[in-house]
Amino acid sequence: MSYLTSTIGKKLLIGLAGLGLSLFVLVHMAGNLFLFVGQEAFNRYAHALTSNPLIYVAEVGLGSIFLVHVVLALLLTLYNRASKGSRYARSAKRTSASFSSKTLHYQGIVIFAFLCFHLRTLKFGPEYEITHNGILMRDIFQVVVDSFQNPLIVGAYVITVLMLCLHLSHGLASSLQTLGLNGEKYDGKVKLIGHAYAFLVTLGFISQPIFVYFYY
Amino acid sequence: MKLNLNIWRQKSSKDKGHFEKYTANDVTEEMSFLEMLDVVNEDLILSGKEPVAFDHDCREGICGSCSMVINGDPHGPEKSTTCQLHMRSFKDGETLYIEPWRAKAFPVVRDLIVDRSAFDRIITAGGYISVSTGNAQDANATPIPKMDADEAFMSAACIGCGACVASCKNASASLFVAAKTSHLGILPQGSVEQKGRVKKMVAQMDAEGFGACTNTGSCSAACPKGISLDNIARLNRDLLKSNF
Amino acid sequence: MKLESHIPTGAIEDKWDNHKFSVKLVNPSNKRKFKVIVVGTGLAGSSAAATLSELGYDVHAFCIHDSPRRAHSIAAQGGINAAKNYQNDGDSVHRLFYDTVKGGDFRSREANVYRLAQVSVNIIDQAVAQGVPLAREYGGLLANRSFGGAQVSRTFYARGQTGQQLLIGAYSSLMKQVDRGAVKLYPRREMLDLVKIDDKARGITVRNLVTGEIESHTADAVLLCTGGYGNVFFLSTNARNSNATAAWRAHKKGAAFSNPCFTQIHPTCIPVSGSYQSKLTLMSESLRNDGRVWVPKAQGDKRLASEIPDAERDYYLERVYPSFGNLAPRDVASRQAKYRTDEGKGVGKTGMAVFLDFRDAISRLGQNVISERYGNLFEMYEKITGENPYQMPMRIYPAVHYTMGGLWVDYNLQSTIPGLHVLGEANFSDHGANRLGASALMQGLADGYFVIPATLGNYLASNSLEKVTEDHDAFRESKDRVSKQIDSLLNVNGDKTVDEFHRQLGNIMWEKVGMSRTKEGLTEGISSISKLREEYHQNVRVPGDKNYKNEQVEKALRVSDFLELGQLMAQDALDREESCGGHFRVEHQTEDGEAKRNDNDFSHASAYEFTGESKNMNWTLHKEKLEFENVKLATRSYK
Repeated sequence: MSYLTSTIGKKLLIGLAGLGLSLFVLVHMAGNLFLFVGQEAFNRYAHALTSNPLIYVAEVGLGSIFLVHVVLALLLTLYNRASKGSRYARSAKRTSASFSSKTLHYQGIVIFAFLCFHLRTLKFGPEYEITHNGILMRDIFQVVVDSFQNPLIVGAYVITVLMLCLHLSHGLASSLQTLGLNGEKYDGKVKLIGHAYAFLVTLGFISQPIFVYFYY
Repeated sequence: MKLNLNIWRQKSSKDKGHFEKYTANDVTEEMSFLEMLDVVNEDLILSGKEPVAFDHDCREGICGSCSMVINGDPHGPEKSTTCQLHMRSFKDGETLYIEPWRAKAFPVVRDLIVDRSAFDRIITAGGYISVSTGNAQDANATPIPKMDADEAFMSAACIGCGACVASCKNASASLFVAAKTSHLGILPQGSVEQKGRVKKMVAQMDAEGFGACTNTGSCSAACPKGISLDNIARLNRDLLKSNF
Repeated sequence: MKLESHIPTGAIEDKWDNHKFSVKLVNPSNKRKFKVIVVGTGLAGSSAAATLSELGYDVHAFCIHDSPRRAHSIAAQGGINAAKNYQNDGDSVHRLFYDTVKGGDFRSREANVYRLAQVSVNIIDQAVAQGVPLAREYGGLLANRSFGGAQVSRTFYARGQTGQQLLIGAYSSLMKQVDRGAVKLYPRREMLDLVKIDDKARGITVRNLVTGEIESHTADAVLLCTGGYGNVFFLSTNARNSNATAAWRAHKKGAAFSNPCFTQIHPTCIPVSGSYQSKLTLMSESLRNDGRVWVPKAQGDKRLASEIPDAERDYYLERVYPSFGNLAPRDVASRQAKYRTDEGKGVGKTGMAVFLDFRDAISRLGQNVISERYGNLFEMYEKITGENPYQMPMRIYPAVHYTMGGLWVDYNLQSTIPGLHVLGEANFSDHGANRLGASALMQGLADGYFVIPATLGNYLASNSLEKVTEDHDAFRESKDRVSKQIDSLLNVNGDKTVDEFHRQLGNIMWEKVGMSRTKEGLTEGISSISKLREEYHQNVRVPGDKNYKNEQVEKALRVSDFLELGQLMAQDALDREESCGGHFRVEHQTEDGEAKRNDNDFSHASAYEFTGESKNMNWTLHKEKLEFENVKLATRSYK
């Protein structure tokens, strides 16, 4: 127990939750690719997901993971700020700290804000209906297409995805380091995995609003 | 050359502290940074003022006493301790901000001097191998692969200056603690106690109020001895293992 | 005062074992009743404090630094000797003993040196068990290198950081004992007086360097492990805070000071670049294996080294010592460099340097080989001087490095004050007139890990020590005296800074009590030092106040002691009418300029008893005759 309350233990929980969330965004991004297939495919995929009773279990699970990630990260950030006390008059030149690593919590805030908006639009947004193959279901495709007609939303979406990219590119490698997976054998590989993963997720997500905006 | 200095002056840990402006005249390239400060101090004394207090001792980069941040960089712009930094690294007319290590766990004693006894308390918590004098077997009784010995040495090269904490935006002491636990844990004679050691040292590190590591890597970049981030991964791994 | 060395009887090989058996022991359950103060936490202090507390004594350790790990032992680069004979090259305890006595130019005590060689092997075992990462071969066994002209490979090392690694080992042992509550640690404390009650050392008076408070600490025995006094020269390879104050204050309380004139000057240091210079950096002697030392033949030749043709260069070590050449021993090489600069042939801006040239080695072996051998040293040189030694020769000059003299101790490491023991560089016993490379670390750890734990018990068991408290008059008087001295220094408010005085003292010491000494120079030196000392107490400026971290107060106290010690060094050098080891009297040299020992009159350790009063310097000289029964007296020759 003392392990989980130590700074390193907390980091481990944040990291594990982060890894879970990383997996989620990858799957989410992959599922969304049905958008390119068409309205029906996309709607049926969404329907299959939401009509499965397991979705509630998954939602609670995901929500808890998210809460652990956000609440602990918030607490730790506040703790870290207090540990530092004051800052220097000039900023360091001789440092390898990347932009993404130094702004992790800001990225988190942006992603969180987006998430609220995202849930409001899609989960609790307009309930268009459509029948595919004799089954009545929500026309979520239409919601997406409506949203992405607004260049402001597209822009905000793209910016958030870029934030997510930064967040993943440092966060993933950082989680692995916290798990102790970095080291002589994995030298450099861990960072590469983080960057590649972030790039993949970003590419998938960004392609969607742009596709919708220009195609529909 | 001439330099414009803004030096942090603070009477004690209770005082708030502030920057004061000084001019360093007749600075030559061959001077070390601390020698430049010596000259500034001599002038201050002769003009009836109090000299700037700073920690220093060996002046050859090994005792780990010097502890000042120069324009945001612990130990200044080169990969060395401040005492090994020479004035040829600066330009005539440059403006410098010189401040103490900043971390809650390193309270300022006076001016540029901070109290780093937190490091000692971390070592006290377990940074040793429990062998009493006279217990030792022959030094060659246990061969140690050269790779391991070299790696332990690289971690043991830490001079305990605290630049890692100073450079970290979270004032985390992870690199210091990890260097120490790695040095001892890599060696067969130290691996025996490694589980208890990492637990106790991490607990003490937290108790001292150092922040958490967020893996930015600034510590390793600031370290005058180039201690690698691999040590922190090893510490995390060892701590995880110590709980199973 | 009577000097009783307490050397055990018997054959030299058996002395230590016999002694350990014959000394009185303290009952294990009684040990914790004895409070032992250890001043200084370098190799000797840390190892002694850790080991004594492991035995059960109540140990209180003091250091001037913020952490015990910063003591100057940390800066030792080269290595530590031990007679392990892992290389099977004929090394033995006897050979290490022999080399050390001979290297010390027959001015050390045979029995102590033999014991040092005996326990040297245990030090390496102990260090390895503590996790000191000494260099290893591919087979996983310990590596050795040869060092300092020894004919065997017996030096253990950890890259260029042997001192730091060994100190971290000793320090971690110390901290282990702190963790167990067996040692109480007092960092940032400076000892300013020894307190004697009934003629025994019963405690110390220290200044808390952060608050300025003067504190009393009682003890049943006091161990001084406070290092050497090289900083009397202002510029030396010592750390800036290394000082003689603790030892000197003990000396003024009755501990004899022995052989103060024996100082070691190291030939390969980075030269002074200007008046602001604060310390000198040593570079490993190994550079002389491939570098050639030279100066221009003409005086004041300011051409670049590369523009001076061979015919106009004087490779003086090769010229004067054809068989040893550039590998002449430390004292000899240092002295020759001084002669060249005295002749006006020195190089560089200041003219106070000679060249160490790798040109020929690079053209013979290639830059790669040289870089493999000396890469880190070349880098260090470039970092400090900004010059690339692959392209232009290094400029080097000798610098004060180590002091062989120190407080006189008997075989038990006890000074002439009962209960006051002195370990490491602070004592005088093992290195005679010249210390061999890689022997300082060995001595510090031998004293701390193995000698004092065996000998201290004898003192404690054979003396009845009444309980004393800090309220005792002796403690109060000591506190008063120390406070008054601080006040009086603060009140002078003169025109010169402490460093300025120290620099002036350093100049006198370097010129008159440095590498070559003359009767005339020493006499002048003594009078200049006493004049400077008088001026100091009338014209020094110590800014600020005493009740906070004020480095100037610390320095002012140390320099006031250096100003007294400097005089004793000069006096001892004047008295010692011979040349031996690091002590070279111009009047005593052979026809070709080599050191000439006088074994008939000076085969003794000089031990000075302070017989003056406070500022009135006066000493009585006592002599401990040195007997050489196991090593035949011989003359060193390097021609």
